[in-house]
Amino acid sequence: MMATPVSWHRIESLLHRVQKPGRYVGGEFNAVTGNWSQAEVHICLAFPDLYDLGMSNYALQILYAILNNRRGILAHRTYLPAPDMITLMRDARLPLYTMEDYHRVADYDILAISTAYEQLYTNILELLDLAGLPLRSVDRDMSYPLIIGGGHGTFNPEPVADFFDAFVIGEGEEVIVEICEAVQRSSGAPRLEQLQILQQIPGVYVPRLFDPDFQSPKTKKAGRAELPPIHKRVLSRLPDPPIAQIVPNIDTVHNRAVIEIQRGCTRGCRFCQAGTITRPIRERPVEEIVQAASAIIQNTGYEELALLSLSSADYTHIKKLLEKLLQEFEGKNVSIAVPSLRIESFSVDLADMLSHGRRSGFTFAPEAGSETMRYRINKNISDDELLAVAEEVFQRGWRTIKLYFMIGLPGETDTDVQAIIELAHQVRKLGLHIGGRKTEVHVSVSTFVPKPHTPFQWEPLADQEIIEHRQGLLQKGLRGRGLRLSWNPYPSTYLEALLARGDRSLSDLVESAWRQGARFDAWDEWCNMKAWEVAIRQFAEINYSTLDAMNKHYLYRNRTVDEALPWDHLLSGIDKRFLVNEYVNSQHLALRTDCREECHACGILRHYRDLQTETWGCPLVQ
Amino acid sequence: MNHQLPETPNTNPQQPALRMRITFSTEKTLAFVSVLDLSSIWERSLRRAGIPLRYSQGFNPRPKMNFAAPLPVGCSAQEDLLDIWLESPYPPEEMRAALNGTTPPHLHVEHIAESAIDEPTLAEQLTSAEYTVWLNRIPKAACADRMKDLLTAETLPRPRRGRKYRGKTYDLRPLILDLSIVPESQDNGLAVWMHLKARPGATGRPDEVLEAMGIMDNLLRCSRTRLLLGDAESPRLTHQ
Repeated sequence: MMATPVSWHRIESLLHRVQKPGRYVGGEFNAVTGNWSQAEVHICLAFPDLYDLGMSNYALQILYAILNNRRGILAHRTYLPAPDMITLMRDARLPLYTMEDYHRVADYDILAISTAYEQLYTNILELLDLAGLPLRSVDRDMSYPLIIGGGHGTFNPEPVADFFDAFVIGEGEEVIVEICEAVQRSSGAPRLEQLQILQQIPGVYVPRLFDPDFQSPKTKKAGRAELPPIHKRVLSRLPDPPIAQIVPNIDTVHNRAVIEIQRGCTRGCRFCQAGTITRPIRERPVEEIVQAASAIIQNTGYEELALLSLSSADYTHIKKLLEKLLQEFEGKNVSIAVPSLRIESFSVDLADMLSHGRRSGFTFAPEAGSETMRYRINKNISDDELLAVAEEVFQRGWRTIKLYFMIGLPGETDTDVQAIIELAHQVRKLGLHIGGRKTEVHVSVSTFVPKPHTPFQWEPLADQEIIEHRQGLLQKGLRGRGLRLSWNPYPSTYLEALLARGDRSLSDLVESAWRQGARFDAWDEWCNMKAWEVAIRQFAEINYSTLDAMNKHYLYRNRTVDEALPWDHLLSGIDKRFLVNEYVNSQHLALRTDCREECHACGILRHYRDLQTETWGCPLVQ
Repeated sequence: MNHQLPETPNTNPQQPALRMRITFSTEKTLAFVSVLDLSSIWERSLRRAGIPLRYSQGFNPRPKMNFAAPLPVGCSAQEDLLDIWLESPYPPEEMRAALNGTTPPHLHVEHIAESAIDEPTLAEQLTSAEYTVWLNRIPKAACADRMKDLLTAETLPRPRRGRKYRGKTYDLRPLILDLSIVPESQDNGLAVWMHLKARPGATGRPDEVLEAMGIMDNLLRCSRTRLLLGDAESPRLTHQ
């Protein structure tokens, strides 16, 4: 494909008039410009939010490295500019371009967009439009790039299904290469034919070839067309970690080196979508991590290395790993960050090893205030244990403890919310007693959203009145010196829930909201809830006659376990039977042990046994 | 907490130098980073090259590095200066070789030399800076008129930047040492040469000059072409 990049002069002339212009210029160390004319497949990896966030996305770093290591494939990056730059670009008729040599996004064969979370959906439309691409798959012929979505959001991609040609369900490292090869083989073929070829690749979901029956909300069966369900893709072992990571020239959200030490989680928290869709647990061997970490630091010059996983303390040899890394980086001014620690004294030991005497904040996620609620969500930690750990944290010199909670959990009452307040006060008292008046407790409270593919997927969202009442209780109860409270406003939770649980018909709503000005839904300063309100009301009146009826349908009702869900055709490998069991267990406040200890037959091993390697944390099953 | 190492004057001239002066230039993408970003870009480039930087003690160790003057965002630099301090000696020519391929694409090392450990900081030595600014969509004559107005003004009160100084003004005029239009430049790509004061608390900014001329929107490109240290000769009037 011939392609003339956007000229630097045109870009440069806008940059003196925007905030943080370094977002729009590329030129980073380790970026791969490559040779456009020698590549056979050109793929643009897009994160539909600011560069500052997108550069901190580890998945894109992995894919960038894998693709650019393949002969014949050239992978570049783009991000969504901030509103000030978007306005100037539209005025100057400058189309969206990539960070490498400023090629037009529209000139690539494939545009792969991260659909990591729901608040990105309107940004995806903004990005497509800024690139000069028709929004809907049916309106794009073979002259346009093939538009693919990937990331956690694809486990229910229906609310944005009309805008994409295909979604990758599950892990993308292998399938993205297969997609590139298929695109190369089918170049010149009409788009529909190309989509049929892509549909053959395991883990690829082509929404246009699947016709859901969403017209009648009362039907229990979703129309399946002749399409078999899509099984998510799973890697038998973790991919090689990207070594020559792109080092941004400006400050970004996570401006540091990253290495994934483990994927998946065995804890089985019932609200957690990541915990189900990323199964099975796979660990990277210690030696491999140490060797790669050393190479990454050498290749990037970063002064901080973060170990990535859903629950670091669960990594089998975490202590040995940290000892080896500390030894490796002795005297080299490299600090090591271990996010996602559990509430136990072992975690305090680990943090102690790494902190070099620096004692900023210690973060714990009890998730629920009362023990009853913690049983319900399968978070097996008692108040006494939690307080003992908090005591130890203060004793070792930390001054701030951050506590993460959720409200609106299934079966929650005001008493459970009161328990958050009491727990925070008890921790605060410990701090005051041990570390004095300068100690602080920060309480962060989000609202529970019942996510697809979790045991809580049949649960309703708590309604606005209840949540705002409980947020009021928290505000009243958590006043005073040394206590700080933050919470999410309900409208953003409502929107997240609607887009997480919605069906195909919501593509119309997302487009309508975007046309009325909604974008950057995750940003307080730029989001446009008014646009959403208007769009939602119009959509509800057309499709459900009233807003209440629509809200009830999507959010405010318990679903029966035999009801067809909009994401039923996309399989996470966790059997529905297992999710139903867990749903029932939660109602009986029954705990499940960590599945490293005993297999609870979630389904992963049954579906993916052929891929199992010694790096899997699943126990042996007779 | 003492984050800075004490200055240790180099009393023994035989001792190998532990302070190095890097002359460098930036272009294109790196014109659009902040001074903090540039500092981090340099730190990481030097780390990738394996240069033994000297770090401060404490919880948050920082390498000891000094620029002569912060570069405004949107401005590239020629003959820019950076002093770095080392843990152990590293010959300049070897350092230059080590830095080959460890800097981002638009950062170029021009020259590396040893520097006396007890020399005052670059910022203390700096007196003024020269800039070249490229403009578009403005006729030469109009630009010349505005420039003349500026140079003949007695004072040029300008609002101070930053929330702290809201409502306060400063006088830009004494910070402008000289302005001229680069003779060979054309209407469609007009180049203006500026010589601005650069003393602590009295630094002229090229974008402020353009604002005062009312032509900020015509700015296409800006480059700081030379830093003049205390003992430097008077500014040259040749244009690049």
